[in-house]
Amino acid sequence: MEFTPHFKRKRGNCKDFIKLAPFPPNSNGLRYQGVFNGLCVEVFNTEQNLIKTLHDNGCYGKGSNSRGGPISGESDESLLLGLEEACVLAYYLNILEIKDTSNKEIAWQAYVQAALEYDKEFVYKLAAYLYLKSKNWIIKSGIKFGGDFLIYKEGPRQFHASFLVLVHTSDVINHPHYVSKNLKGAQRVAETSDKDVLILRVNEQKDFDPALATPAALESLTIDETVIRRFNYTSFVQIKQK
Amino acid sequence: MSGAQENTIEIYPKTQYLTASELVAQRHPEVESPRNGLKRTSFEGSAEENEELKNTYANLRLQLSARRIERQAGRAIAIWSDDQQAAEVVRKDGKFESFGYSQQGKLYLEYYEALFLLELNRLQLEYCGLIVSIEQAYVLLLGEEASEKYNNYFVYSALTRAGYIVVRHQEGYRTASSDVVTKDDCIWALLDASLSNKPVPLHIKVSQFYNATFERMVQLKQQIKNQCSEASTDEISINNEPNAFKFDTRKRRAQSEPEEELASKRASTTGRSLIDALKDEASYRKFQQTFEKLDIVRLQSEDYHCDVDSTIRTFKITFDLHLHNDGFRRSAPKTPTFSVIILQHDEPFPTHIEMLHCQRQQMRAEERAPLLVISVSESKHIQAFLYYIS
Repeated sequence: MEFTPHFKRKRGNCKDFIKLAPFPPNSNGLRYQGVFNGLCVEVFNTEQNLIKTLHDNGCYGKGSNSRGGPISGESDESLLLGLEEACVLAYYLNILEIKDTSNKEIAWQAYVQAALEYDKEFVYKLAAYLYLKSKNWIIKSGIKFGGDFLIYKEGPRQFHASFLVLVHTSDVINHPHYVSKNLKGAQRVAETSDKDVLILRVNEQKDFDPALATPAALESLTIDETVIRRFNYTSFVQIKQK
Repeated sequence: MSGAQENTIEIYPKTQYLTASELVAQRHPEVESPRNGLKRTSFEGSAEENEELKNTYANLRLQLSARRIERQAGRAIAIWSDDQQAAEVVRKDGKFESFGYSQQGKLYLEYYEALFLLELNRLQLEYCGLIVSIEQAYVLLLGEEASEKYNNYFVYSALTRAGYIVVRHQEGYRTASSDVVTKDDCIWALLDASLSNKPVPLHIKVSQFYNATFERMVQLKQQIKNQCSEASTDEISINNEPNAFKFDTRKRRAQSEPEEELASKRASTTGRSLIDALKDEASYRKFQQTFEKLDIVRLQSEDYHCDVDSTIRTFKITFDLHLHNDGFRRSAPKTPTFSVIILQHDEPFPTHIEMLHCQRQQMRAEERAPLLVISVSESKHIQAFLYYIS
């Protein structure tokens, strides 16, 4: 049975038709400056780099005074980037420079260490983030649906999320994602807006070291995908018998 | 004349007969269980609660012991055989097309089939020369010990009522396949797969034409979807001339470099990402270099070995589902529409690797049916799930 993802367009206004890029432009060579505060990476407006541009091209981060992008118009509004997206922008795309609170640049390994302290599964989530990003998905936090990520076609203003993504590692036996009440719960929540639950399992080699030496060290990880859909067996048979 | 009236003898029958209207009224009594308030999940043990429980049980008993009237004539008769653990049908009544299995010229019903027919009043079950009541039948057919049999029966009953033909899972189906697979076969199999949800048979998937045909179809689909697409329109018009229609395999091969390597692996059910759809967007092509730079973590290619270690649970396929209008015949079943795995209420769902493992169990079967996972909750609520795996 062939699988096709759901794409449900939001009833939007016409101005959303302006095509925006999936990655922020980096033409002037000046990187965005972000401060890692232990929870997220905070980016402020500068003359050269507007946080609105960073958000609008690829929907990175969340405005500190807004529900979604930084649209409150308040002058002190900053853009809060999640750990994974900040990491990708900084060390894979070289658009962002991450500093600590004392204004010193954080190198790759130090960042991974700090992020691991906050989230033990950071590396696996980063792997999943990269995996999804390379397939042209817009990725937002999945916390409001009880998962790790929500992934969108084009962006949350144009489409409803197609998937609620749950990430897990292969070494955990009886992972809570598969416990029947958890999975059914996630599905019920996701179904309210036609999402599917996508479980990404990150497989690692035996000698994999989560304190990654280089950004490229992630390539030893692989991912497999599982989508579990509720199936209405009654309506299926009725349609087939017409 | 008057003398005759004096001699009238009144006869009082020993058994009472119901009038026609009473018969009709008692034939289908409407019984509804009382509902009171919200569902409670824990037992408090208070006096009030005990009283309430007592009343509820009494009420339930009253309802269950109410007199019911059913036709007796329409019943088949079967005798439960301890050795076979099945009921042998000795008198058929009505259609038995989708029930039972034959062995040495005798028709046997599985325990769940017998119980199902019994509940529908289509079967009279006998054991040691006596007619078995429904209550006794539950113990006889499902056993006194708690077991998966009850859930199996429950799922069987629900799916049968929904309109499926449910049979015990069988391995290995014969297919009416010719030895040579042509391009046409591939096209038809793919159309079948997308229109009527039939899985593409293995012998077609391994054909040399399959991958090219598949890709061509994806390409055509895409062209139909975004009609504005560039030069492709000419290509279609050329190819669409009657008789000149052929799949240009060489051309495709040049366009899809990395995909081709996977060709052999794709012969199985997996090895393809489910979420690649957005790679066809204009924004992907525009930023292709950047996207490729991020393509560090890859899909697990499916040639890894399912190490049969202790952490992988094995799931048993219990039933096969067929559709009524697919020309099902008990003697020569075709590939089922689904195969069913039943999950007990406390059992976690199968993971990717366990699902793969389960599919491989069916390896010998020429064709595999999609697996339907049916979970039976604590409150005997059943729910079906379909897995799509990469």
